[in-house]
Amino acid sequence: MTCADLADLIDPIAAGDLTPDAAVSAHLAACPSCARTLDAARRIETLLRARLVPSAPSQFTMRVVNRVHRASWRREQIVDGIFNIAMIAAALLVAVGLVFALRRTGLSILTTDAMNVFSAGMLTAAQKVVPSLPLYAGATGLIVVALGVWWWASDSAAL
Amino acid sequence: MEPERERALVDRCRREEPGAFEELVNQYKNLVFALIARTVSDRSRAEDLAQDVFLRIHRGLPYFRGDARLSTWIYRIVINVCTQDKGSARPAVSLDDPDARVATPSTIDRRFGDLELRDRLEKAIQQLPAQYRLLIAAHYLEGVQYEDLAEAMSLPLGTVKTQLHRAKRQLRQLLEGDLR
Repeated sequence: MTCADLADLIDPIAAGDLTPDAAVSAHLAACPSCARTLDAARRIETLLRARLVPSAPSQFTMRVVNRVHRASWRREQIVDGIFNIAMIAAALLVAVGLVFALRRTGLSILTTDAMNVFSAGMLTAAQKVVPSLPLYAGATGLIVVALGVWWWASDSAAL
Repeated sequence: MEPERERALVDRCRREEPGAFEELVNQYKNLVFALIARTVSDRSRAEDLAQDVFLRIHRGLPYFRGDARLSTWIYRIVINVCTQDKGSARPAVSLDDPDARVATPSTIDRRFGDLELRDRLEKAIQQLPAQYRLLIAAHYLEGVQYEDLAEAMSLPLGTVKTQLHRAKRQLRQLLEGDLR
């Protein structure tokens, strides 16, 4: 047995994973260098076994649960965002498809006529409403004042 | 924790029963924190990483098939988090800090010498590669077996033992002067 042969056995022996046989024991007894190395390995083994075991901080569980909640909320936000983008994209696709279909089927001329009729109707309605606008404005003003007085009164009563 | 109870706890977490995940955190927080705090010298960094481990556990629970034990799966996550941690690069700590060399163990009380040696051991451990640091951290925690580590690291049992012995040999070489 040589020092080189023993080099790989020092740590297993120090850890108690290997029991030295007669040849190893004889070499250790005869070689001060290997005996010192084994002693050093045993001291390291003892120190490693005596290492402190750090405990988790007292608020650790609460902080983990909060982080889990925040992460879940963020994931939901991302899913919501993706869903909204998908819905907008789908709506745009439907609109573009509709325009394309109207053009190809020749129904767009009919649509234009329908839009003209709708615009004319809206114009007529607006012309009828315009003379009564001051009346509507006055009524709206009165409602706003009444709501303001009610809000002020309830706020004062609460105080 | 017995496998039956482990499985029941995982099921309760999957069903999102109130308090189940807190129970899981309480059950494993000291093990996870001790493993990481022994690997990463900065305590606040260790807490951040330990929280990351539990976030990954929470995300992964729906996919946990239960082929391995829960504790083994948790070790595996700890290993991944620690080895992926950018801040875990070996610090430029010199073992030959001149202040620490003022008094040599031969001239002072043995107990104080051991304290100093313990401090230098911690510094030496920080010099080891991440995998070796984890092995050293985990192996000397109560109840952690070679078999658990081998399964968590997906390595043969013999390789784990060899790596652990190599880690200790490196430690011995780093502390050579202090152990004389």
